[in-house]
Amino acid sequence: MKFFIDELPVLFPYPRVYPEQYAYMCDLKRTLDAGGHCVLEMPSGTGKTVSLLSLIVAYQQFHPENRKLIYCSRTMSEIEKALAELKALMKYRTQELGYEEEFRGLGLTSRKNLCLHPSVKREKSGSVVDARCRSLTAGFVKEKKERGEDVELCVYHDNLDLLEPHNLIPPGVWTFDGLLKYGEQQKQCPYFTSRRMMSYCNVIIYSYHYLLDPKIAERVSKELSKDCIVVFDEAHNIDNVCIESLSIDLTEESLRKATRGVDNLDRKIKQMKESDSEKLQNEYAKLVEGLRAADEARDENAFMANPALPDDLLKEAVPGNIRRAEHFVAFLKRFVEYLKTRMKVLHVISETPPSFLSHLRDLTFIERKPLRFCAERLTSLVRTLELTNIEDYQPLQEVATFATLVATYETGFLLILEPFESAKATVANPVLHFTCLDAAIAIKPVFERFSSVIVTSGTLSPLDMYPRMLNFNTVVQESFTMTLSRKTFLPMIVDRGSDQVPISSSFEQRSEMTVMRNFGSLLLEFCKLTPDGVVVFFPSYLYMESIISSWQGMGVLDDVWKYKLILVETPDAQETSLALETFRTACNNGRGAVLLCVARGKVSEGIDFDHHYGRTVINIGVPYQYTESRILKARLEFLRETYRIKENDFLSFDAMRHAAQCLGRVIRGKDDYGIMVLADRRFGKKITQLPKWIQMGLDLKNTKLSVDMAVNNAKAFLKQMSVPYTRGEGDGHSSWSLEDLEAHQAKKKQEAISGTENPATRALEGRAERVVEADDEFGGAGMDDVMAGLVG
Amino acid sequence: MSRAAHAPSASTKRAGEDDDICPVCKSSRYLNRYMHFLVNPECYHKMCESCVDRIFSHGPAPCPIAGCKKTLRKARFRTQTFEDLKVEREVDIRRRVAKAMNKEETDFETLRDYNDYLEEVEEITWNLILKVDVEQTERRLRRFEEAQKAELNPNAVRRSVDAGPDTSTLSETSHVILKKGGAQRKAQNVPSGNMPIPEDETGFSFRGLKKRKAPEPEKVFDPTSGWSVDPTYYNVKDEYDHKFFAVKHEPRFYAFGYKAPEYYSHALRDAFGGLGVFLEDDRTSEEMDFGTQAAAIAVGGGRDVDMNDVF
Repeated sequence: MKFFIDELPVLFPYPRVYPEQYAYMCDLKRTLDAGGHCVLEMPSGTGKTVSLLSLIVAYQQFHPENRKLIYCSRTMSEIEKALAELKALMKYRTQELGYEEEFRGLGLTSRKNLCLHPSVKREKSGSVVDARCRSLTAGFVKEKKERGEDVELCVYHDNLDLLEPHNLIPPGVWTFDGLLKYGEQQKQCPYFTSRRMMSYCNVIIYSYHYLLDPKIAERVSKELSKDCIVVFDEAHNIDNVCIESLSIDLTEESLRKATRGVDNLDRKIKQMKESDSEKLQNEYAKLVEGLRAADEARDENAFMANPALPDDLLKEAVPGNIRRAEHFVAFLKRFVEYLKTRMKVLHVISETPPSFLSHLRDLTFIERKPLRFCAERLTSLVRTLELTNIEDYQPLQEVATFATLVATYETGFLLILEPFESAKATVANPVLHFTCLDAAIAIKPVFERFSSVIVTSGTLSPLDMYPRMLNFNTVVQESFTMTLSRKTFLPMIVDRGSDQVPISSSFEQRSEMTVMRNFGSLLLEFCKLTPDGVVVFFPSYLYMESIISSWQGMGVLDDVWKYKLILVETPDAQETSLALETFRTACNNGRGAVLLCVARGKVSEGIDFDHHYGRTVINIGVPYQYTESRILKARLEFLRETYRIKENDFLSFDAMRHAAQCLGRVIRGKDDYGIMVLADRRFGKKITQLPKWIQMGLDLKNTKLSVDMAVNNAKAFLKQMSVPYTRGEGDGHSSWSLEDLEAHQAKKKQEAISGTENPATRALEGRAERVVEADDEFGGAGMDDVMAGLVG
Repeated sequence: MSRAAHAPSASTKRAGEDDDICPVCKSSRYLNRYMHFLVNPECYHKMCESCVDRIFSHGPAPCPIAGCKKTLRKARFRTQTFEDLKVEREVDIRRRVAKAMNKEETDFETLRDYNDYLEEVEEITWNLILKVDVEQTERRLRRFEEAQKAELNPNAVRRSVDAGPDTSTLSETSHVILKKGGAQRKAQNVPSGNMPIPEDETGFSFRGLKKRKAPEPEKVFDPTSGWSVDPTYYNVKDEYDHKFFAVKHEPRFYAFGYKAPEYYSHALRDAFGGLGVFLEDDRTSEEMDFGTQAAAIAVGGGRDVDMNDVF
């Protein structure tokens, strides 16, 4: 259908649109017009991706400046889904408009997924594929070939050079499958096609890391212009991604490998000095001049990139004492040796980068400045030495990155040395964690560089947490609910067992027999009454194991076994995928199954249990993080001191977003239905931290149930759901045809003129009502807004 | 010495203690659980603590390792910091070089010069580490250090020069310092620019070194910042014949020690006070910090008709 939002014509590839989708698009447009960042929460399964794509594509085509869309998602399957969605959209647009628009949409993923080379693609590990690909495609290999040396090259990559550089692939949207097929036909490398075409695309779809991880972003996303529209979908975990991308763990093993790497470099330099000293001399001359050849920075074959460096540093020349290759190698050796001595300590140390640097200087006379250039110097050296077997140098690169980061950032990072794996261990296995505490550091360049950044997900509540944690300002912050013509999901909080004993996974209570028994009876009852699939989430593997073994002792599992097949998630990915497959089969053939998994595991993040795969989801316990971890403690302290986020607020926020993520697994659309059970006494106080759409479905009377009451409720609900239901019943309310939409627009216009904004209209659009945020200890965030208003 | 890259040791030990046999007494950790190795920065041969006690307690002795002729003293034995003894030695050398060559980026005119300097320092360090021209480099290093000292604190040098003849005979050090003092004076005479100091005098010379300027002597503090109370618009005469001053002859006037000239000058200062003070000037003179704005206005009080403008 085609409709207008203000002046913008939007082509929507479906005949009906949900009210919340319309409102979502309106807000998106508002953000793009205003040129700012926004945070939007919309429940999963309401067609977030398609509304996002159709609005932005319409916006791109309507406005002549043609802003590029960078769509970042989290997993491979989500990226593929988005690409397919985009393809369908463009097909629809062509149909409607009657002509094909000049449009390119490409996705990017790792070499492993896109390789066509007959022997390389058979490698199993991603890093091996990367390394082998580089050895076949690197610039110097080609030079060697031209000089007549006998080296192997990748035909697929070479063929690319024969094509026009801006037209490697015809316009259109290319899914990964399509790209692979086209590549096979034309004998050209899909990975490099995609990479090189990036600057000629209208839409780029790839993983977060290509934009957030400074080591990759430098290379892949450098040429994107300032006016790009950046979308982070499924962004509820974005702060953790940011932090992980800047954190480094060093172990004794990796240091040993780094030493070996340094020795190898040393040997290589000696060889090169004898055979081809001119090259080293050239590199040296370049470094003296402080020049960075333009092509060098853009070199797509460069394997090691720099972590986030301030721009002024990038323009500066490399310090004199690491200019010569052999000096630099000795420098690295000294640094690695120093790290080794630090590892020898047998008690936990946590220190800030400045303290680390000063100790380093006292002991080894390594100044801060050359340390900052470490990663870059290493990249340059590796390029000069023309190394191919790069995976050997991975640990060394890690050390170099660590050096650069530790010398660059004074705040927001912490070094934690843990000599023992656990508190009880007697054999030392030291790990040096260099942890980033501030999620804002990694994402800062993105917010600074791009004018519109859209952060969206199904679970982002509370909305103001993300702007605070990531340190940015929003123009629009909105939470949408699902408009439903009937209640298709039943959230319940079960806080006590049938024997009225409170149930909780808190540390004092979790191992009590009564609590375990009540959890067991909860599981059993819901397995009895639920058709098809049941998914159960535990707070941790440890707790899951202990409770399963005690259930085994109590005979709970034997009873469950009568009704459902029992499957368990393990940390091992392969085992888990086997379990999932079995689970699906069991659900398909009508026996039904119960999957026991962990709230922070793989299942909770990426697997959908739509329709009969998940009719009930049970959250046993609040999925808090392991609070004794030193890294977490450091981060909490940092959040409190820097962003005024209290420890408990953050922990509870983090637990609830994971809980919500688990709950959201079962509802993947409007015609889906499911029961959501939150089984812990402590959930009662955290209702406000659930996403708005779950909150609205949660009746007050369902917030303090015992197991038997919950069972009765669930039975009634299922009975209701079993009534035949057609899509048509939701017409005009939970899904709009074009007429409904236009009627709504007219009504809104009327209201805008008369100046009476009606809360009912907001609700109609599926917008959650605005909640006045409770004041924090400093007088509330509201005060800040007032002050900002006064100043502006 | 390349023990670094060997199999992981199950338990943690101190640096360099992963092979458990003392090369001197062949005692092993099995015989002596608390064996502790030491090294001497003369030759970096390591031996166990008891060997050190045994051999060196009675004064300096040659290193017991075959082929090493170095004489060692007990006091200099110490625990090694780094696992790799090469690095240990390198760091010791660096410590010495860093002590002498301690210029900073601000001492140079351009970043490029500083980087060149850094490289040269690294080069010197390498010579010492790889034992190339050790003798000469050492000598130059020492000379450079002294030149550096002389430059940093010319007074100390001058003092020692003055005291030079008194302190017994010309010892080697004072001789060197005398020479340096000369170099220092010469350096001061060189006009600004990058005139390199001849290398044989200072050990090393570096391009682009900023001239070290002696701080300018401080001027005598003037609390009024150049203001004077002398009258500019009038001259005080000794005698005035005006009926206003008629009182000066009356005893009730001079009884308390008043003198007529003081009285005149007072009266005239009052009369002329504020003349020649303009508000515009006052505004600029605010920055000259001789008083607050209010004071400036008070000084210019003669024109108090315009006071409204000020406020």
